[in-house]
Amino acid sequence: MARITCAALTKSYGAVLAVDALELSIGHGEFMVLLGPSGCGKTTTLNMIAGLEEISAGRLLFDETEVTWTPPHKREVAMVFQSYALYPNKTVRENIAFPLRLRGQSASEIERAVGAAAEQLEITHLLGRRPNELSGGQRQRVALGRAIVRKPSVFLMDEPLSNLDATLRLSMRGLIKRLHQELKATFVYVTHDQAEAMTLADRIAVMKGGLIQQLDTPEGIYERPANIFVAGFLGSPPINLVEGVIAGGAFTRGDFRLALTNPPQEGRAVVLGLRPEDVSAGGDVTARVELVSPLGSETHLDVLAEGGVALTLRVPKEWRAAPGDRLSFGIDPARLHIFDKASETRL
Amino acid sequence: MKKPLAPRVTRAILLTLFSALFVLYVAGPVAWLVSSSLQSEAEITRVPPNWLPQNPSIANFEAIFSAADRVVTYENRRQGEALTSSFLPSGAANLLPAMRNSLVIGLWVAALNLLLSVTAAYAIAVIDFRGRRATLYTVLATRVVPDIALVVPLFLVIRNLGLINSLGALVVTYLAITVPFTIFILISYFEGIPRDLYRAARIDGCGHGRALWHVYLPLSLPALVASLTFAFLTSWNEFVFALVLTQNVAAQTLPIIISGFIMDFTTSFSFVNAAGVIAIIPPVLMAVVFQRYIVSGLTAGAVKG
Ligand SMILES: Nc1ncnc2c1ncn2[C@@H]1O[C@H](COP(=O)(O)OP(=O)(O)OP(=O)(O)O)[C@@H](O)[C@H]1O
Ligand SMILES: [Mg+2]
Repeated sequence: MARITCAALTKSYGAVLAVDALELSIGHGEFMVLLGPSGCGKTTTLNMIAGLEEISAGRLLFDETEVTWTPPHKREVAMVFQSYALYPNKTVRENIAFPLRLRGQSASEIERAVGAAAEQLEITHLLGRRPNELSGGQRQRVALGRAIVRKPSVFLMDEPLSNLDATLRLSMRGLIKRLHQELKATFVYVTHDQAEAMTLADRIAVMKGGLIQQLDTPEGIYERPANIFVAGFLGSPPINLVEGVIAGGAFTRGDFRLALTNPPQEGRAVVLGLRPEDVSAGGDVTARVELVSPLGSETHLDVLAEGGVALTLRVPKEWRAAPGDRLSFGIDPARLHIFDKASETRL
Repeated sequence: MKKPLAPRVTRAILLTLFSALFVLYVAGPVAWLVSSSLQSEAEITRVPPNWLPQNPSIANFEAIFSAADRVVTYENRRQGEALTSSFLPSGAANLLPAMRNSLVIGLWVAALNLLLSVTAAYAIAVIDFRGRRATLYTVLATRVVPDIALVVPLFLVIRNLGLINSLGALVVTYLAITVPFTIFILISYFEGIPRDLYRAARIDGCGHGRALWHVYLPLSLPALVASLTFAFLTSWNEFVFALVLTQNVAAQTLPIIISGFIMDFTTSFSFVNAAGVIAIIPPVLMAVVFQRYIVSGLTAGAVKG
């Protein structure tokens, strides 16, 4: 059991359609990230895979076996929760040992497995404590320990890092990535943090309103967003979106013109997408600098170009600019994203 | 920042004062019960009363424990003078058997109550089945009817079952009275246990039975103890149903027998109070043993926020 197939997986709560006929096939050993804004159905999807949420319609398969109606304790998946969900009355050792105890393993086997997992997560010194004597990061390590100790082939994680502070999140992210490489298990990871999604995922499913908007590798999602929602959801600062029309093979908005390599039909109303970093020094676009935000490693510039087009640019820190300056920069037409205004899909 | 001294002192004084008043109000009758059980009848009825016995005597207790050996006949049943405390009510010998009945019934009710209400409360609080709200309201609705209205129908049912004057009749009746309440107590408690713990347990390999056993029960100790105590005490103190459903000492409980002492031709208050002292010993012991389990914060550290 390691390949997960969702076929028209649907969950409705009364009139609310939380997950709408989801089609998703997750390969053996793949790290799949479900990414999307709050309320888009990520947790619901994960819980259906885990068996914690009854499936309203559709089918769920682990490899070739249908598990749509299998109760969670028979599905042999491990799960890590945003809230850690440690058993407060048990010590760390007992928490990690619990899944093994339920499977009736011998005391010596359990002892060995718990020791190994604790060592891997560097929590050996915490084994005797209770959850309320641990910090958030330590608790999440224990929760990971409880998951890996069973050596399951499927790991489900629901925003496991979102209760941790930024530094800790970074190191835990590395830990999870390492675990995935060592365990060679299938991971399904829910997050609304794009940086987590980009760094961890083999593939990302971007969700909204219970539907998958795009399913692709992190690069694919970033480089070729399927629609305006996906384009806007990934990237920081977010992609610049400018409404305009196609005229003379160029994107036009008032006096603002950008020649396109592969223009859609004339007169079409479109939305132009420009990633803040896709600009180069020296070029034929000029704009007035409005706001300068130096970040140390790079600088963010808010500029106003012709036609009242406001753009945010992400530029190397060497670009010296002050508010009020005139700035010239180049835009590579090959790196532009053009979306249809009406359907919001990529052209 | 510390509050200024004056308000703190005032606060402390007021708190102490009202606590003392409250303790007096609650413990006063009990203190009098204990004190008067050690006094002679003449001393009890004296005005003003003595809070502390002048000549403490355990004659009443001796009488209770020796009553079984004493043969009560028509001739000697009125023997003894109430005022000199040598008087013994005719039913005195029934006191200890009744206490045994009360204990047996109370323990059965407490145990079965827990078994029934824990499983029912888990199902209603945790499992998302069709009609769970309706189930809960139906269970609770049975307690809207005053007990007294149920006495006659229950009597008929129990009589037709041939259970009149049996301990089982009272056990069943008391379960019917207590289980709805304890289900309700436990449901609220179970619902307060983070849902993610249930999810984690299911994922880790628990079916419903094991999730209940390994996760819900250990974390619900205070509610379990409260339910147990409630069920036992209700059964221990109940009067109306016991009066109707039992007819002789084979199944009669303590409240029935004790109340019988004041319906006798002569009433010995000191003896009744001694019986009262004996009747409150098991509940008091229970409270002392269980109070340390009634603590909060068992789920601390389970989940974030
Ligand atoms: N028990 C429920 N009853 C009714 N509606 C629900 C229930 N659980 C979830 N929903 C709805 O289903 C939708 C999807 O919820 P879900 O928890 O899957 O979102 P999510 O993507 O995990 O969001 P978040 O990032 O905030 O955790 C939401 O609109 C939510 O309101
Ligand atoms: Mg969620």
